[in-house]
Amino acid sequence: MATFVLYESAVGYGLFEVTEFDEIGQAVDKVQEAVSDLARFGRIVKMTAFKPFPSAADSLEQINAISEAQLTEELKNFLEQNLPKVKEGKKPKFKLGVFEPKLGSIIQETTNIPCISNDVVGEVIRGIRANLARFVSVPETDMKRAQLGLAHSYSRAKVKFNVNKVDNMII
Amino acid sequence: GRGGMKGGAKAVIEAHRHEGVFIARGKEDALVTRNLVPGVSVYGEKRIAVENEGDKVEYRVWNPFRSKLAASILAGVDNIYVKPGSKLLYLGAASGTSVSHCSDLVGPEGAVYAVEFSHRSGRDLVNMAKQRPNVIPIIEDARHPQKYRMLVPMVDVIFADVAQPDQARIVGHNAQYFLKNGGNFVISIKASCIDSTAPPEAVFAREVKKLQEMQLKPKEQVTLEPYERDHAMVVGVYRPPPKKKD
Repeated sequence: MATFVLYESAVGYGLFEVTEFDEIGQAVDKVQEAVSDLARFGRIVKMTAFKPFPSAADSLEQINAISEAQLTEELKNFLEQNLPKVKEGKKPKFKLGVFEPKLGSIIQETTNIPCISNDVVGEVIRGIRANLARFVSVPETDMKRAQLGLAHSYSRAKVKFNVNKVDNMII
Repeated sequence: GRGGMKGGAKAVIEAHRHEGVFIARGKEDALVTRNLVPGVSVYGEKRIAVENEGDKVEYRVWNPFRSKLAASILAGVDNIYVKPGSKLLYLGAASGTSVSHCSDLVGPEGAVYAVEFSHRSGRDLVNMAKQRPNVIPIIEDARHPQKYRMLVPMVDVIFADVAQPDQARIVGHNAQYFLKNGGNFVISIKASCIDSTAPPEAVFAREVKKLQEMQLKPKEQVTLEPYERDHAMVVGVYRPPPKKKD
């Protein structure tokens, strides 16, 4: 059975196929071993699709949804366009590994894509995080800049009343 | 007179044993970091400018009573792991006073991903980060690293000063997401935050055991006396590479 993994980054959504998921998925320590071996990781994990966020406003919308485990229209379309079709009445021949179980169950409810979240998925995502630059041609400085910009807009919204410490008058 | 370290001409800067940290030798010695944003104090700390072969370099005094990382350096910790170029995940960033020194320390090539949940101190943190492009402010609960998973890459070091009873779990959780294999952790443990009835040594020992269970292997422990009471700093390595068989 094919296994895919969803990876959310500051610059866009990535979809990866894990070729030996069932073989390596027996024990977490085996996965850790495979993930830390760079050559082996490159063989078992392949990028299927990547969707860059078109604007800063869009990436803020995506992180706000992702942090609350909500499914945006954009993510839904990305998954439906790039994963095998799910036919009604037939059992899908693939599954999607999602970091956050709550997001996984919402994806499954809305799109019928079967989702899993477990330690093995967590380890694979750890591997993708460590090797993202090998898959996505975004220079590290650009990635850092994207994280910086997004963190500022995300955090500013959280403390939005009063970034300048000016107290609001109560009239 | 007022501002003993000011005027700086008399101070001599020496490199500290820890890369990126300096000592200012003057009337009194002080721990300092090289100011990434010359001309600006973050929290009213003193600045010392020295002329070095025509170049002016500015340092900021790093107060061990206000920063546990500074306290652990003065307590003689062997390695702080935070050095120029490091990517650091800082949990419990508060207003960012200590974060600003880490920002000096890692320099323009490094990065500090600073997590703080309190909106009140978070506001100061965000404002400080505006002037320091290597500080990535994250106003979020360190208990839920999945909420900020889009913002943080794999890091070299995790520093934690969260003062929560479940802090070992919080650090373990963040390490599993973001700390690279063989990466390091530096954790400040405040005994009274975890268990105020047990003797501090017993609390530290219990916390160390919890860390080990999460593949966080402690290598060293120092107490932060006289700067903090009943505090220990524990440093170590995450998922160390297996020992080679000879």
